[in-house]
Amino acid sequence: MTGQERVNRMFARRDQDSIPRMESFWDDTLRRWRTEGMALDPNGILGSDFQGLCWSEPCPYPGQAAVLLEDAETVTMRDGWGQVNRYWKDRQGTPEHISFPCNSREDWENTVKPLLLAHGPWVNPDASLKDLARGRRNGKWCHLTGLETFEMTRHLLGDELSMIAMIDEPEFFADVSRTMTDLVLRDFETLMSAGLRPDGVWIYGDMAYRSGLLCGPKLYRELVLPDHARMAKWAHDRGLPFIFHTDGDVTSVVEDYIGAGFDCLQPLEAKAGMDVRKLVPQYGDRLAFFGNCDVMIYATNDREAIEEEVRSKIEAGKASKGYVYHSDHSVPPSVGWDTYEFVIECVDRFGNYD
Amino acid sequence: MMDLTPLTDAIKTGNRKEAARITLEAVDAGLAPQVVLDALVLGMDDVGARFQRNEAFVPEMLIAARAMKEAMAILEPKLLAAGIRPEFTAVIGTVQGDLHDIGKNLVAMMWKGANFNVVDLGTNVPAERFVEAARESNADLIGLSALLTTTMPAMRDTVAAIRAAGLSKAKVLIGGAPITNEFAKEIGADGFAPDAASAVDLARQLMGV
Repeated sequence: MTGQERVNRMFARRDQDSIPRMESFWDDTLRRWRTEGMALDPNGILGSDFQGLCWSEPCPYPGQAAVLLEDAETVTMRDGWGQVNRYWKDRQGTPEHISFPCNSREDWENTVKPLLLAHGPWVNPDASLKDLARGRRNGKWCHLTGLETFEMTRHLLGDELSMIAMIDEPEFFADVSRTMTDLVLRDFETLMSAGLRPDGVWIYGDMAYRSGLLCGPKLYRELVLPDHARMAKWAHDRGLPFIFHTDGDVTSVVEDYIGAGFDCLQPLEAKAGMDVRKLVPQYGDRLAFFGNCDVMIYATNDREAIEEEVRSKIEAGKASKGYVYHSDHSVPPSVGWDTYEFVIECVDRFGNYD
Repeated sequence: MMDLTPLTDAIKTGNRKEAARITLEAVDAGLAPQVVLDALVLGMDDVGARFQRNEAFVPEMLIAARAMKEAMAILEPKLLAAGIRPEFTAVIGTVQGDLHDIGKNLVAMMWKGANFNVVDLGTNVPAERFVEAARESNADLIGLSALLTTTMPAMRDTVAAIRAAGLSKAKVLIGGAPITNEFAKEIGADGFAPDAASAVDLARQLMGV
């Protein structure tokens, strides 16, 4: 069975030879593993079933990234969003946010929105067509990828102003949200017009943290969910399933996700309390689950605990036939290569449907 | 005496204009600054309690803290003139190796709202800087934040440095996405808070108030 067939059957809850699979890693992890004898791309060794075709991230200043300041350990940069962040030079991690391009509704209306509407597309049809051809050759499930609106709004306004605007100026927040969603869908349309025929749509955005949705369910339903539903509808209108990525605890809005047409939720952060062993019995017939194997347990390098984690999550996921293996986030560098080889062995052992 | 319930309500609902207007009115009417401060803190406490009950979320917390800040800008000179200073000082920062600051900023905001004097050291703070700042400010509380599993060892090192420096008065409170109560116990911290509102409760508990 090819990856494409496996994932399509997973969405249809039809029999598969094994669960589909994919993994994410920090760059630091891969650097460590190369020194520990990892020869190939770990997703190649795992046997990833997925192939991304694009990354739609409509930013107001494309190609204008610049280094502003550097010290021994960090570099402060302005990126294509116009956001100034401080990053580590020699390792990955969440940057420190220093400033954002929109400090008011006026900035949005007079500067940033006109720039966004004048730019685009932010995707490259030729490159996507090549990726699709490669994906088809390798039997992968090929997907369009882009950002969702809550994430993009935070890129433009910052966490503080964006969440204050949700209460103070909801029509301003809604305008940003609607505009950014339109631009991502415009990117996807550009690719479809160029002849790209993907298998699905995968949208990224971090809505939540360990205690739940950052903005709470009510504001989410009023101001963000309508645009999420539009994205899901766009996908469904073209016969494509819709995968949604968010970190954090989103249990309070799973029913809303289902109502909005989401087909699959990823990566189900275990340390935020997401647990497929509870989610599948409740929602598994209506929503597929992708991930949830706890990287904190991997980081203990305790094989007994890892085996139990992978086994119990995969067994729970398989009960609905709508489950894809992934960790609950990205595998951190505290996990040794021999430990991750053991994870792959567990996925092989427990992931088969026979 | 002037009824300060509307001031508490203005903080609860994050109505900064009302909060500033009533604070100014109260100050002009000659109300004791401590009484006005108590009304403001009551409003922030309500937001914290609703946050813990999942009735308020980060946006509500942000607008309440903003209203509190604007009211405090009016009230602070009066408090200082009356010799009223926050009873407790807290030093806070994200540990070395970690640049993430959202969680740390929310906790700092809520501690200020609970009338703690807050010394914010920012992000990527080395252990020795926490020790130095705690010593300089005679801190009662030290808050350590970490987002990444990879920076949890730096949290352990910072707690060890604080203990080695003999800062026996200062209680250490930790938090962040990968942090658990078990980890707090393991590294010898005095407590763990899963969110900004809980960090206020825990800080008060550790201070015995």
